[in-house]
Amino acid sequence: MNSFQYVTAHTPDEAVSLIGKNGRYLAGGIDLLGEMKDYIVSPDVVVNVKGMSQPTELGTILLPTGVTNTANCQIGASVTVAEIAAHEDLKKVLPGLIEAASEIGSPQIRNVATLAGNLLQHSRCWYYRQPDIVCLKRGGDMCHAHEGENKYHSLFTGCACLSPVVSNLSVIFAALDVAIKVKRAGKTETLSIAEFYQEAWKNPQTHNSLNPEDFLLTASIPLKRTRSAYRQVSEKSEFDWAMVSCAAAGNVANGKITNVRVALGAVAPVPYMVEAAHHFLEGKSLTDENASKAADLILKDAKPLAHNGYKVPLAHTLIRRTLLALNP
Amino acid sequence: MAAWPNPSEVLGKPATRLDAEAKVTGRAKYTYDVQPEGWLYGMILRSKWAAAKVTKIDLSKAQAMPGVKAAILTGGENRTVRYYGQELAAIAATTKQACLDALRAIEVTAEPLPFVVKEDDAMKPDSPRVFEKSPNVSDPSVREDGHVDDAMASAAVVCEAELRTQIQLHHPLETHGNVVWIQNDHATVWASTQGISSVRDSLNGAAGIPQSNIQVLCDYMGGGFGSKFGAGAHGRIAADLSKAAGAPVKLMLNRLEQGLAVGNRPSSIQKVKFAADKDGKLLAADVENHGSPGIGGGGQTAGGGGGANISMPYIYRFPNSRSKQFGVALNTGASTAFRAPGHPPASFSTESMMDELAVKLGMDPVEFRLLNDPDGTRQEEYRDGRDKFGWAAKYKKPGSDPGPIKTGVGCAGGTWGGGGGGTKAEVQINSDGTVEMRCGTQDLGTGSRTVIAMVAAEAFGLHPSDITVKIGDTNLPPSGGSGGSSTTASVAPAIWDTCQKALETLQQQTGVADARGANWSDACKKLGVTPLSAQGQWQKGLSSGGAGGVNFAEVEVDTETGFIRLKKIVAVHDCGLIVNPLTTTSQINGGITSGIGYALYEERVMDRYTGLMLNNNFDSYKIPNIADMPDIEVILHNKPERGVIGIGEPAVIPVAGAIANAVANAIGVRIHSLPITPAKVLAALGKVPNVTTV
Ligand SMILES: Cc1cc2nc3c(=O)[nH]c(=O)nc-3n(C[C@H](O)[C@H](O)[C@H](O)COP(=O)(O)OP(=O)(O)OC[C@H]3O[C@@H](n4cnc5c(N)ncnc54)[C@H](O)[C@@H]3O)c2cc1C
Ligand code: SF4
Repeated sequence: MNSFQYVTAHTPDEAVSLIGKNGRYLAGGIDLLGEMKDYIVSPDVVVNVKGMSQPTELGTILLPTGVTNTANCQIGASVTVAEIAAHEDLKKVLPGLIEAASEIGSPQIRNVATLAGNLLQHSRCWYYRQPDIVCLKRGGDMCHAHEGENKYHSLFTGCACLSPVVSNLSVIFAALDVAIKVKRAGKTETLSIAEFYQEAWKNPQTHNSLNPEDFLLTASIPLKRTRSAYRQVSEKSEFDWAMVSCAAAGNVANGKITNVRVALGAVAPVPYMVEAAHHFLEGKSLTDENASKAADLILKDAKPLAHNGYKVPLAHTLIRRTLLALNP
Repeated sequence: MAAWPNPSEVLGKPATRLDAEAKVTGRAKYTYDVQPEGWLYGMILRSKWAAAKVTKIDLSKAQAMPGVKAAILTGGENRTVRYYGQELAAIAATTKQACLDALRAIEVTAEPLPFVVKEDDAMKPDSPRVFEKSPNVSDPSVREDGHVDDAMASAAVVCEAELRTQIQLHHPLETHGNVVWIQNDHATVWASTQGISSVRDSLNGAAGIPQSNIQVLCDYMGGGFGSKFGAGAHGRIAADLSKAAGAPVKLMLNRLEQGLAVGNRPSSIQKVKFAADKDGKLLAADVENHGSPGIGGGGQTAGGGGGANISMPYIYRFPNSRSKQFGVALNTGASTAFRAPGHPPASFSTESMMDELAVKLGMDPVEFRLLNDPDGTRQEEYRDGRDKFGWAAKYKKPGSDPGPIKTGVGCAGGTWGGGGGGTKAEVQINSDGTVEMRCGTQDLGTGSRTVIAMVAAEAFGLHPSDITVKIGDTNLPPSGGSGGSSTTASVAPAIWDTCQKALETLQQQTGVADARGANWSDACKKLGVTPLSAQGQWQKGLSSGGAGGVNFAEVEVDTETGFIRLKKIVAVHDCGLIVNPLTTTSQINGGITSGIGYALYEERVMDRYTGLMLNNNFDSYKIPNIADMPDIEVILHNKPERGVIGIGEPAVIPVAGAIANAVANAIGVRIHSLPITPAKVLAALGKVPNVTTV
């Protein structure tokens, strides 16, 4: 890697003040250090944000005791994926989140990976990660995946870069309608998951909507959806990203689903959602037939590439299974 | 003729590895850990092009950088490079970062040339040529017996398919590399190798040092699977760097280099046609194979003795057979021997077709094999394995499970040569009763140290932990490379012979009639000041060649996601005289793991347009992990009358065929190419919309 300055920040304000124009925040380092070693990114400053003592919310899972319709669970940026996966009380109110966290990588990775790092991890496209290829995302002049080896790439395209979002947490967060609190230009802003990733649709050189100096503080999860589920399929059982993942959340009463949200991962630069599917499902019972129709609606605009057509039936299955898993 | 004791006291009883503790505590020193005084890091600059005409390599900036002690060219400036990863220049420097910085400061001027990295492209008449003077597709090697066309025409059943196997990478956990220290006219080399003598031989003349002045050491090594013979281009480069820098140089490859430049298992595209009569007797086989060894067209190590050729037709007796094999050159790194070269792809295709025939004939696949496999050993293994696996209850009509998640079973067989020879050994017995065995072999991971100690303990009536074992040093009595599953069959007889000679001398010299066991220390005391030393060598009658093995696999396939869960593998192997059941089982477990990777996960992916490899790390070159392992049951068939045989390679051969058959049995359609991924399962089931496979 290229040489860089290493500094430790103790508060978000300090982190933002240290980051400069070409700096990077370092949390667990799983993603960042790999990119630096392969010269994919070469920051001049690396700001260690792991050990921030203030504010305490950065390292905490705050779950209100009496869960009400308006309550939120708040998880700090530096909470590890393993801490989320092992949280017994979260399991009761947000089972889908626990499922999504438990499927990330392997135990070793979950122990180190943080919430912020997981949401902000960069593209896994193998052209992007190849040390000797400079594709569009890295500032080169073309996307090699359009014509090349696109087995793991997006189904929903229309954008210049075909690399999909692969963060498990992004997918379940989309279904749970999570709000992300970010420190931006001296202020605290709140972004929906759609807003958090939409820039990646538009600008092939980005992985999400954060500016390099923006600092992620917390994720706030509404608890009003009492049912949630997450399903994924990878080629291997561990140590592998999902080929497709799906998350769903909603309320089920008297056999009918309301307030439902369904998101797909690894098929688009953002967690992919289709409003028409939500409208269709509203008030319906979660039968295989209805789940299947919802899957048809979600996959209507899929445009398979030469090598990723398998993602269509796979996504269809995962949507059906995830929705059916919402039934109590 | 020499013979093993019967009954035995030590041989055949499970013994933990003598070095187990050293390995798990980190005390065992691998080449990676060797740090001679004043050592430097060595690194190689490699071609970024799949093919290019290099006209200039400017080292001057690199040379001037802090910490850089040597910067050299590895093959002149004006040259044509033919694959991504080919060596161009090298650096020795005081730190890893200094090396990395210097590599990036080397300026290479080159003109990119047309290239081809995919077999199907290279076989087209208008493809760019890998070698200007010869076409990409070689002349075929042809073998023909009987009257294939007539037999096909008269057969009751014929099955035909194109089967494909991928390029598999060795990826030993310890990457390739050496620490080389040239001092005056001597070289000391710590090598991660499966053949210390082969390293010495291949370094002959490197940096001007004659073979006789080269000492190669290898106490521990982290896997080779056939790819770690000789010092490699990187070994000679390390020698040149050490000479230029006047210091020891450690040059270990990184994971990317490991995938590019030190070998792989050749691919195969096999057009296979088998025929049988109405009673299920095989009549004919017709095979046409196009396999790629990259830029390695032939020679000793390319793919293991013959480019990309595979052992077809495999194991069964076909009265009429024809095989035509073509090599396909590609602008990719050369193949090299890989655990049972030529066999796993042959077993996969043959056994796939055998199951297709059995289904067409309405025969049970095991019965069909028993009818056609000429080998008595495998017949026994099929019968034994079938019962332990519970075949009769598990085998059903392909695809007949109701519901989306379907189970299936399959079986497959393999054969291997093995055998031993060419090893000398020495023992020193001291008056305090201590014993030191010396042999210039190496431990590829098969437990050579422990095997040596066990054989000596058997001879002297001692415990294996009483024996000190010295291996991995070319100054010791020579032995061969650890290849062809020949190490134990070569070494154990030499140790036995040596110990028998020593025992005889000891008994003569001391007058103790039986110096073994309880009498050992008294007899040794009588030796006095001068230790006893004896030499011996491999003898006939203690080892033999030829091995057969069969696998049974059970899988569960989710037909809606394509995901395959391996439930069980039963492996039955002929093991000759089992020296150590623990290390034998461990070899078979390892072979199965590698076979599972071949069957389900591993594949080198080249990019057609850049000519570069895309899956250069373990996130995308998918090797199986513990979570992917099924329940494995290893059944050893002990045949002491055969003497010691090899098991390392036989273990891997039938795995992919058995898994492929189990998948086909589960879902009712066959997947004709490895690895069998969820995407291929969904495609085979007709569930994937508009896929164009290019
Ligand atoms: C083999 C393997 C398998 C994997 N499988 C999966 C999987 O199945 N699913 C999955 O979701 N992930 C998977 N991952 C990815 C892994 O989860 C992420 O790399 C990890 O979560 C990153 O977290 P980190 O804390 O190490 O982040 P870092 O590497 O430290 O940071 C990642 C990015 O976030 C930025 N960042 C960190 N904190 C902040 C902050 N507070 N504000 C702003 N920016 C910040 C960093 O600058 C960097 O760009 C896998 C990784 C590996 C190696
Ligand atoms: S998909 Fe995106 S990251 Fe991959 S090659 Fe194309 S531009 Fe680069």
